[in-house]
Amino acid sequence: MIKDRLETIFRQSFEIGKFTEDLSVDNVPGWDSMAHVGLILALQKEFAVSIPPADAIELTSVKNIIQYLANRGISSG
Amino acid sequence: MNWESFKKLKGDEGWLVIRRAAKAIQDVLRQKIATFEHKADVAFVSSYTTDPLADYVQVFAAQNDLAVNQYIAPYGQFNQELLNPQSELYRVSPQITFLLIEAESDAIDEQASRLQGLVDAFLKNSTGILVINTFPACPSWPLQVLPDQRRILIEKLNAGIIERYQSHPRIQILDLDALVAYAGCQNAMSPQMMSMARIPFSEAFLGLLARRIISHIIATRGLARKCLVLDCDNTLWGGIIGEDGLDGIQIGRDSPGREYLEFQKTILELYEQGVILAINSKNNHDDVMQVLNEHPQMLLREKHFASILVNWDPKPQNMQKIADQINIGLDTMVFIDDNPAERQMMRQSLPQVETLEMPADPSLFARTLRETSFFARAYLTEEDKNRGQIYAAQRKRDQFQQSCTTLEDFLKSLEMVVSIHPAGKDDIKRVAQLTQRTNQFNLTTRRYTEADIAAMAQNSAWRIYVLGLKDKFGDNGTVGLALVEIQPKKWRVDTFLMSCRVIGRQVEDAMVDRICRDATKAGCISVSAEYIPTAKNNLVAGFWDKMGFEKENADAKQVRYSRQLKNYQSPQFLYLKIV
Repeated sequence: MIKDRLETIFRQSFEIGKFTEDLSVDNVPGWDSMAHVGLILALQKEFAVSIPPADAIELTSVKNIIQYLANRGISSG
Repeated sequence: MNWESFKKLKGDEGWLVIRRAAKAIQDVLRQKIATFEHKADVAFVSSYTTDPLADYVQVFAAQNDLAVNQYIAPYGQFNQELLNPQSELYRVSPQITFLLIEAESDAIDEQASRLQGLVDAFLKNSTGILVINTFPACPSWPLQVLPDQRRILIEKLNAGIIERYQSHPRIQILDLDALVAYAGCQNAMSPQMMSMARIPFSEAFLGLLARRIISHIIATRGLARKCLVLDCDNTLWGGIIGEDGLDGIQIGRDSPGREYLEFQKTILELYEQGVILAINSKNNHDDVMQVLNEHPQMLLREKHFASILVNWDPKPQNMQKIADQINIGLDTMVFIDDNPAERQMMRQSLPQVETLEMPADPSLFARTLRETSFFARAYLTEEDKNRGQIYAAQRKRDQFQQSCTTLEDFLKSLEMVVSIHPAGKDDIKRVAQLTQRTNQFNLTTRRYTEADIAAMAQNSAWRIYVLGLKDKFGDNGTVGLALVEIQPKKWRVDTFLMSCRVIGRQVEDAMVDRICRDATKAGCISVSAEYIPTAKNNLVAGFWDKMGFEKENADAKQVRYSRQLKNYQSPQFLYLKIV
């Protein structure tokens, strides 16, 4: 599942409680502009996709990330 | 998250993981919850974003028991930080400043003179060390047939930088061009990172660059390890000498065996840089000696080793014996063994020893050793180049001592000649090195950089005494040092130390006598001195008392002494000739 793999990344990177689609730059402590770059790098590695800078700016919540990865053809299975 | 989780990080976990660990370490340091053995104040001044790099540095430093206090200049502010004498950089005054910049212009003369302007400003406004980088000469058109003019120019620029600055005492060169070449331009440089975060490098390369930065810190702070201790079977050669015999083990130019020859070559290069070698092996002693002395393909020979312990005792026990024999601390030793169980045992019993994690494939041994920072040095002194011979002579000296019936006999027949002189220009590197490396016979353990010592040598308020020792087994080199602050009626011994090689030879008495005599001649009334206890210098706790100095206070953290010079008379030296 995309979501499980995402949760692993988020747990390694941030202090979070319950992992939900509502997590975003607004409510995850430490998810600042620098961390965002790190997150994009981690996503690229984990899902083997290249994320252009223009797309990266939009990926500001777990919901957006899941949607984006699905659109990029990452299977949710 | 447990803040100590950084210990398990390999560096390839991704920057976010590294960043989190770095933040945890910073919090712990800020709140003084834990401390590290060593400290360094560094600054990053750069044309690009260095925060991620600083995170890697923090984590790798902590893994080396080193707390790094970092000042990161605002993004892109390198010109202002270096050129303005009132800048935050100069106010913070770090020990090491990393000036990491990109080439702004293809005109190499212009680039070189810009760099020179920055360097000159730094040297004027700071007393610290400056690390500058060369520029990656990456192919701009890898598949183009035309000559790559840009690359040729950058290579010229780099050659000029290296030539101009390589032997400056306060400048170190981070050869970024070489490091990028090592990783490969495609792997090291990342247009995506540049676009997202204003960092020219890939995540993977940040880790390698951070390790190189750790090397500069280790070299500058005198934290390089001194001694490499090696296992034998399947480490120095393939096979087991006790079973396969002299003809059966694998070492030489043919395969299998070539990988061990390459590894020995690497070890020999370290030896030539002044790293002390020792053997710690479970074997029959005579079998190993036969390989060292008789195997035609061996590069490493008996003469290269300062200590050879081959027996069936547990290796941590042998390690302690080697440390005692050579007279160095366990925390200055690196241990290499192909056997994971032996490594595990060493780590558990003696965590101070750095036990290298070795790959299973011996053809990767040489590379693994070459990619460590533990022996990082900014320069080599004459002592470094001759250290191997000096320790081999020491081994003979020890054997000779065992054949003498009394200590007096031994000292008398050594025919020691001591020379004490004010430090000249050629001594400055060695003096700085002695202050940084000497732990046991060191009364105050004040660490000085080469720049500090150079400044003292220029200053008439300081006198730097160096002591050389020769005996019938050879020249021991510069083995003693005193830094004395000259005050009108009273001299103050700021630093007094002796290399552990000459402990128990009574040469220290000659140094104290020289200081007292010179002070008397200069019209002094007294000489003052201190003893500052550390975890390692208990050996000299009563030194000043023994030298006729009187305790002046009862502060256990800094014991002050003084000696009146009225009617000063030199002691008699029965075993030393002083020139």
